Amino acid sequence: MTKKSTILGIESSCDDTAAAVVRWDMHGSDARSDARSDGSAEILSSVVQGQLELHHAYGGVVPEIAARAHAEKIDVVVKQALIEADLSLSDIDGIAVTSGPGLIGGVLSGVMCAKGIAAGANLPLVGVNHLAGHALTPRLTDQIPYPYLMLLVSGGHCQFLIVRGVDDFTRLGGTIDDAPGEAFDKTARLLGLAQPGGPSIENEAKSGDPTRFRFPRPLLNQPGCNLSFSGLKTALLRTRDQVIAEKSGLTRIDRADMCAGFQAAVVDVLSEKTARALALYLAENPAVRTLAVAGGVAANLAIRGGLESVSSGFDTNFVAPPLALCTDNAAMIAYAGLELFASGASDDMTLTARPRWPLDRISPHLTGSGKKGAKS
Amino acid sequence: MPSKPLILGFDTSAAYCAAALLSGENVIAKTCEDMKRGQAERLMPLLQGLLEKSGYVWQDLDAIGVGTGPGNFTGIRISVSAARGLALGLNIPAVGVTSFEAISHNQPSPHISVVSAPRDQIYAILPGIDAAQMDRSILDHQSSPVIFSPDPANFAINIADIARSRYASAPPPPAPYYLRTADAAPARDKAPTILENAPEL
Repeated sequence: MTKKSTILGIESSCDDTAAAVVRWDMHGSDARSDARSDGSAEILSSVVQGQLELHHAYGGVVPEIAARAHAEKIDVVVKQALIEADLSLSDIDGIAVTSGPGLIGGVLSGVMCAKGIAAGANLPLVGVNHLAGHALTPRLTDQIPYPYLMLLVSGGHCQFLIVRGVDDFTRLGGTIDDAPGEAFDKTARLLGLAQPGGPSIENEAKSGDPTRFRFPRPLLNQPGCNLSFSGLKTALLRTRDQVIAEKSGLTRIDRADMCAGFQAAVVDVLSEKTARALALYLAENPAVRTLAVAGGVAANLAIRGGLESVSSGFDTNFVAPPLALCTDNAAMIAYAGLELFASGASDDMTLTARPRWPLDRISPHLTGSGKKGAKS
Repeated sequence: MPSKPLILGFDTSAAYCAAALLSGENVIAKTCEDMKRGQAERLMPLLQGLLEKSGYVWQDLDAIGVGTGPGNFTGIRISVSAARGLALGLNIPAVGVTSFEAISHNQPSPHISVVSAPRDQIYAILPGIDAAQMDRSILDHQSSPVIFSPDPANFAINIADIARSRYASAPPPPAPYYLRTADAAPARDKAPTILENAPEL
């Protein structure tokens, strides 16, 4: 690793086409001896081109529509990221690209474009696990040292990971069906609220009564750190239909109460499972007390409040990156690439796109994870 | 503009990786490997190998020509994305060439260019009909000669040759040529009626 290293990151695994430039400045030998004495990373640009309006009519991300959009945007966002960083490709030291897990059509576009740029500009290339990008983000934003406990909670993922190194993860548990973000989106659709569902439901829940509708807390009665959100979704649908059957519609108060009840169930489940995961983590690492979250769902203030109180109950440091770096972005991919390159990793022109790619290669697959997406 | 520009043409719109290298009008090298899967892993090493055995490096190229279909969606996107990346990395133009253009290249008119599609279907432009996917049987009733895709390596030569004629005139970035819209069903969940005048106080 040179004294300065500037990495271009590319991300296209779901419905955001993204590119970013991140620079790592090595500290000299007399540098401050902080959490990470080896350096700090700076985001020079981070461009995210979303596809919300393309998928709007379909109530969810349509893989073929996503793939089509990525294929015609991927190089455009790279150019934009270079312009915003005020750099040209000759200033870049390496290219990091999400090579899985995710929707394969989009991942392929990112990987092929990255290979083309790497070949053309004669730059080293490394494939990054999208989940590792999320899981390492607290090191980019808050310079936290290894190890730490990560709760990755987003529209496509939900898992607890012990993060020990750039390629050293242990999964303590995760969702066996849907991700919480999917449940929020589905609930918003069922209640006629705007997508993405997370902010809509959080907003409605503010004026709602969380005790009026009592929704289930799936898997709380079972040991371990696995979660389930699919039953909660169904319970909400039944409750909604019951109310509609009674009065041919929902009042705004009904809707707010359902949102509050749903959100309270998610908060309870995530808080309790986080407490269990944290206890497991701290038993192994009593001296390094850090809980970090990543993923768009971590932006929900009720959920964040629940996690913060669990964290303080365990006398643990709570780290949550800013929202723009919690949701899908390429800065996290560039940063993970920096750490991978520094560890000696790189890929050649046969780099493959992987729809499934668990971070933890030892733990068994989560039951039910084959339903869709890349949750295993 | 060089008198003998070096153009790399490639195509993965069906079950193969095909490529050709042209110096001016001269074909320097061509290649094709049949494969049902693995195009994303194989394409770049195959292109690199073609350059190397001809004594060139990537940076010698003056332009890229890429097949944009119609054909296999995923295959087309693999090549188009690679072409866009190469164009950016090399700072040279990439030219998208449709399968119909590549088939019709240097063919006497009138004729009908036809791309084979799965399940006895074809992609074609017929007199008075826009490009579409249709049953192969429709070809029984045509008066003009019908021309199918040449073998993939020659197809790649045609793509490179067309790119040679267009690359200097600021071509638009290559984009997949789709004849079908994306398969997608509208959301099934119907939003509930919100009762406006029911203050439950």
